[in-house]
Amino acid sequence: MSATVELRGVTKHFGPVAAVDDVTLVVRPGEFVTLLGPSGCGKTTLLRLIAGFETPDAGEVRLDGEDVTRLPPYRRNVNQVFQSYALFPHLTVRENIGFGLRMQRLPPAQAKARIEEAVALVSLGGLEDRRPHQLSGGQRQRVALARALAPRPAVLLLDEPLSALDAQLRHGMQLELKRLQRQLGTTFIFVTHDQEEALTMSDRIALINRGRIEQLGEVHEIYHRPATPFAAEFIGQANLLEARLESRGGDVAVVRLEDGLALPLPMGVWPANVERALVSIRPEKIHVSRTPVSNGEAFPGRVVEEVFKGATDRLVIASDAGTRLVAVVANASAFRDPIHEGDRVWCAIHPDDVAILTAT
Amino acid sequence: MHGESGTDEAALAAAAGTKDRAAVRHGTRPSLAARLLLAPAVAWLTIFVIAPTAILLVYSFCDRDELGRVVFRFTLDNYRRVFDPVYVRIFVRSIWYAALSTALCVVIGFPVAYCIGRARGTVRQRLLLLVMIPFWTSFLIRTYAWITILKEEGLLNSLLHPWLAAPLDLLYTPTAVMIGLVYAYLPFMILPIYGSVEKLDGSLIEAAHDLGAGPLRVFSSVVIPLTLPGIAAGTLLVFVPAIGMFAVTDLLGGARVPLIGNVIQNQFLQARDWPFGAALGVVFLVLFAVAYWVLQRRAREEMP
Amino acid sequence: MRPLKNTLLLALALLVAGTVRAAGELNIFGWSEYIPQKVLDGFTKETGITVNLETYASNEELLSKLLAGGNSYDLIQPSDYAAEALIRAHLLEPLDPARLPNRKNLDPAFLHRPHDPDDRYTVPYMSGTVGIVVNTDRVKEPIHGYRDVFQPKYRNRIVVLNDNREMVSWALDTLGRPINRITPEALAAARPVLARWISLVKVFDSDSPKTALLNGDVDLGIVWSGEAAILWRENHKFQYVIPAEGAHQFLDVLAIPANAAHRDAALQFMNYILRPEVSVLISDVFPYTNPNAAARKLLTPEQLANPASYPPHPGRLESFRDIGRAAEGIDRLMTDLKSAR
Repeated sequence: MSATVELRGVTKHFGPVAAVDDVTLVVRPGEFVTLLGPSGCGKTTLLRLIAGFETPDAGEVRLDGEDVTRLPPYRRNVNQVFQSYALFPHLTVRENIGFGLRMQRLPPAQAKARIEEAVALVSLGGLEDRRPHQLSGGQRQRVALARALAPRPAVLLLDEPLSALDAQLRHGMQLELKRLQRQLGTTFIFVTHDQEEALTMSDRIALINRGRIEQLGEVHEIYHRPATPFAAEFIGQANLLEARLESRGGDVAVVRLEDGLALPLPMGVWPANVERALVSIRPEKIHVSRTPVSNGEAFPGRVVEEVFKGATDRLVIASDAGTRLVAVVANASAFRDPIHEGDRVWCAIHPDDVAILTAT
Repeated sequence: MHGESGTDEAALAAAAGTKDRAAVRHGTRPSLAARLLLAPAVAWLTIFVIAPTAILLVYSFCDRDELGRVVFRFTLDNYRRVFDPVYVRIFVRSIWYAALSTALCVVIGFPVAYCIGRARGTVRQRLLLLVMIPFWTSFLIRTYAWITILKEEGLLNSLLHPWLAAPLDLLYTPTAVMIGLVYAYLPFMILPIYGSVEKLDGSLIEAAHDLGAGPLRVFSSVVIPLTLPGIAAGTLLVFVPAIGMFAVTDLLGGARVPLIGNVIQNQFLQARDWPFGAALGVVFLVLFAVAYWVLQRRAREEMP
Repeated sequence: MRPLKNTLLLALALLVAGTVRAAGELNIFGWSEYIPQKVLDGFTKETGITVNLETYASNEELLSKLLAGGNSYDLIQPSDYAAEALIRAHLLEPLDPARLPNRKNLDPAFLHRPHDPDDRYTVPYMSGTVGIVVNTDRVKEPIHGYRDVFQPKYRNRIVVLNDNREMVSWALDTLGRPINRITPEALAAARPVLARWISLVKVFDSDSPKTALLNGDVDLGIVWSGEAAILWRENHKFQYVIPAEGAHQFLDVLAIPANAAHRDAALQFMNYILRPEVSVLISDVFPYTNPNAAARKLLTPEQLANPASYPPHPGRLESFRDIGRAAEGIDRLMTDLKSAR
């Protein structure tokens, strides 16, 4: 069971500050959408508007086309997994999970089956008669999930549900949530500030900054084609460089980066009628080699800084042309020689890996 | 919340070797310093609580002479009189009055405590202050104030005068006694419930709403069960003293209906039968102990 | 060393001074609303003796507290029958007549009473009756006695003293029985009368029964004559009637308990009270019947006209006698009837 969630021009003020500023968003049925952004960006407020805990000052909230803007949370077919889990301390695991079913007045036999189903879904077997204070953090998280899913809502909202778990457990739960969502087909709207989490689980990401949607798109789209500096830097890492159109010839536009390095780009990539723009180049996309290349496709430079990060090396390379770039290379196997500080290297950048930021 | 994993508990168990066990044992035995600090409290308890209760117990088995002086001659007559239907009826009526006033205190006090508990910072402090200000005045004076309000030519009747055919006959009735009792004990109900409400996690209420519970269901399924400890504490603080209340019945009730407190007071003053009064007192104490034990058991069951 | 010695001497001196000061005090245990503050202050001014007054609202309360011990009172104010019990139990000091020259001021009618035939232990203070107060503005019918008061039409308009023995005596009066013979049979006879009466009463109050009458919460009351007199002074609409069936006349006396620490001061006070000009002060504030003949000569015509203080038609008056353990039966009966409502 899943539904379309639609936000049209939604605005919410707290005092003079607009926590959510004219947001329009459509989440398709069965989609896993993550609201990603730094603390205080308004993503939780957006979630609460969908759940019904807040009423927007302007705009509409629609579920499957129906206007639910003024509807209280208990009348919306939307359930939430709270950041603090909010388990009822006076009820057992079984009773917690069955709470929503009780409110729906489901016949006892059916409710029993549904609870068992939910318990199995989140692998909580054997703990049904425990009280929340007798469970570990991870177990409580599962109960919160089961409780929200048992009533079979059309939309499941998750408010940073994994933030209290340790790294190992968190990674495991990320995959499990994704699997669960695929299995149930319910629309999931997930809130987090962790970009890696968002990349792992989502179908689409809505990048939120200061109450507005900075960029909305598929995971790969957002990663490879960030629209703004914020988008480029919040997800993954980026080299943000000033680029100036130097010359055009045939189907090649030559662009000079930071008045240093010259980069040839295919004609269609650089936007028309634009002299200057900001470009983003992901560090891992820069090909670095110690083998000299003389065909003009690579540019030379020197490694001025090297940081060992386990699986990767972070290199700061000063190109001969003057531009500084940050590159990330995989720490090669023993087949290859490692790259050290001070080494002379040859770097290459594929035009497809250059994202031109169209908005500021 | 701290990050947890299933291995934590195992690690803790391993770490708790003999060394830690010894530390725990030492921590629970009171030191000399602690004992000295407790001494005044223990002395106070002994002199002003334990000793008088013992005296009461002894007197209850004594007899009295012509002039009403206590004679140390063992008798069970006093306890026989306690179970005389006349006095049993008074006990029952006292318990009934106390139960009724406790119930009213809960019904009136809970919404007030709830509102105060959900209010923000300064508003909440001010409301709490309003609840506690009456305590700055003597209880007797406040009860007298009610006489001024409820009497036939009093404040209430003058206010309602245009709308009434005849003045309200409130003073010297059971209604007045109930008003007096509820008024006197309301803060003792409000404050413990407020304590429970304050600890109530707001997200629990949101979660209940989220799962389909309307305001009424949230109240009955989440709020009430979680504030039950506060309600139980308040009930204990109100019910038990209310049974023994005699000043309110005398002043606001016109001393028409004697409650157990009045009867006991009477034995020590007008009737000059101290042993009988002591016997009534001992039975009352036993009642209190039973009520306390029952309520404490219920409260402990609710807590994890 | 010297400063320490000085400090110790000073402490000792203060201690002695403290105890010496304690001798200059008088502890009175009396009725509430019975001794004017002016009288107490006047005594202190004249003699330098500090007066401490503690009060009670019934004779039983006095006896209770007195027999409990603890407080050592120097002067008490029992009613006649309470004094009788105390004398019988040898709990009162005999009075030295040489220290009470002002006794000659007393009206002989108040001496040689049954409770103390030789006036050896007590000195009359004030006398009075327990009778009916009628708010004639609200009650237009003539009221002559208890039967007239306890009619169904006056339900919830009556105040009576919160005194079990008093009420039983009114019932016995109505039945034409002696009020001092408290037998189970007598109580059984009084029971139905009392049951009916109690259901008609609005307030039981011994502390200040005039309050309910002044407030207008009740229209009739059976109260002490002093209260009735104050009401009459306040407003002549409050008339006083001595019940035709018979009324209780009481004599409150001053006496000294056997364990008194300041006997001297107590005797001084008694003699002081017997002065006509002091006795008048008491009558001014508490208009009971003054047994001091010399004082009566100093009263105003208005005061002497007060029907509660000096009833023109005394009627059938009787004193209370000590009834010992029979009081138990009264207490049980009244508690039973009151709680049956």
